[in-house]
Amino acid sequence: MHITEGFLPPLHAAVWTAVALPFIVVSACRVNRLMRDQPQTKLLLAAAGAFAFMISALKLPSVTGSCSHATGTGLGAALFGPSAMALLGTLVLLFQALLLAHGGITTLGANVFSMAIVGPWIAYAVLRGTQRLGAPLALSVFLAAMLGNWATYLTTAGQLALAFPDPASGIAGSFLKFAGVFAPTQLPLAVVEGLLTVVIVNFLREYSGEELRSLKFPPQTLATETRL
Amino acid sequence: MKARNGGLLILAVVLVVGSFLIGSRQKGAEFTGADSQAMETIAVLQQDYQPWFGFIWEPPPEIASGLFALQAALGAGVLGYYLGFRRGQAQARRKRPDAGD
Repeated sequence: MHITEGFLPPLHAAVWTAVALPFIVVSACRVNRLMRDQPQTKLLLAAAGAFAFMISALKLPSVTGSCSHATGTGLGAALFGPSAMALLGTLVLLFQALLLAHGGITTLGANVFSMAIVGPWIAYAVLRGTQRLGAPLALSVFLAAMLGNWATYLTTAGQLALAFPDPASGIAGSFLKFAGVFAPTQLPLAVVEGLLTVVIVNFLREYSGEELRSLKFPPQTLATETRL
Repeated sequence: MKARNGGLLILAVVLVVGSFLIGSRQKGAEFTGADSQAMETIAVLQQDYQPWFGFIWEPPPEIASGLFALQAALGAGVLGYYLGFRRGQAQARRKRPDAGD
């Protein structure tokens, strides 16, 4: 999902940066408030960020004979809400853009939008939605992480399609081409990300009860929406 | 929890190894990144597109692999520290019957 440096036309790069910026600011405020009001969750936030950091460095092989990586943002979105993840995801992407020549500064906004905004929001929505329907927590978490991963890659495909429409079939045709590159590769990897996220959540439920309670995780099935 | 997590981890490994084995049988499988394939697709859709901005710094390949390893190690280190810390805490709490909880 990393759009390489310079591979979005200037106008697109600027627009995506402008779109991503307010989310990052809100996220910084949210993280700040969290640190102040619930300092006991600081370490867990670091761990959730570390999970994304670790997992997005691992390029895994896929059935298509190409390779790609998970995003790891579903875990943090499930625990801390989606808005907390924009900041953490931005830090990960910034590290990769500056030190690894992976992604880029001009494309940072677009990459933040797909990985640190759309992915976490979809993951969070799936978690809440499936919990409300009464799904077991492990299944909810699995689906949230997996679909968050897919959503990130489909967003990237959409961004590239908007920038590079197919001369014959337009934006839609171009979207199918880019999605055709990402989707089959991402299929098994998203499942792996879902499994690993469930493993971590299982562990947290066993040993980090206090923190999960203060974060109101797992979300109550019929509770009023208080967090966000 | 232990048995369940063990099972899930084994499943994850099987998926990765299985994907690799299936992927290896694809024609021209070189396990290039899907990201770079997408950038190649751009070249097909718009042949005259030139990236207008280059990397500020690009690490030499060996250094890059080291930095990737560093990224994974830092992430795994912090995560492992947290999980081990909480597990130890929970166990210490269980050993003290007067602690309640």
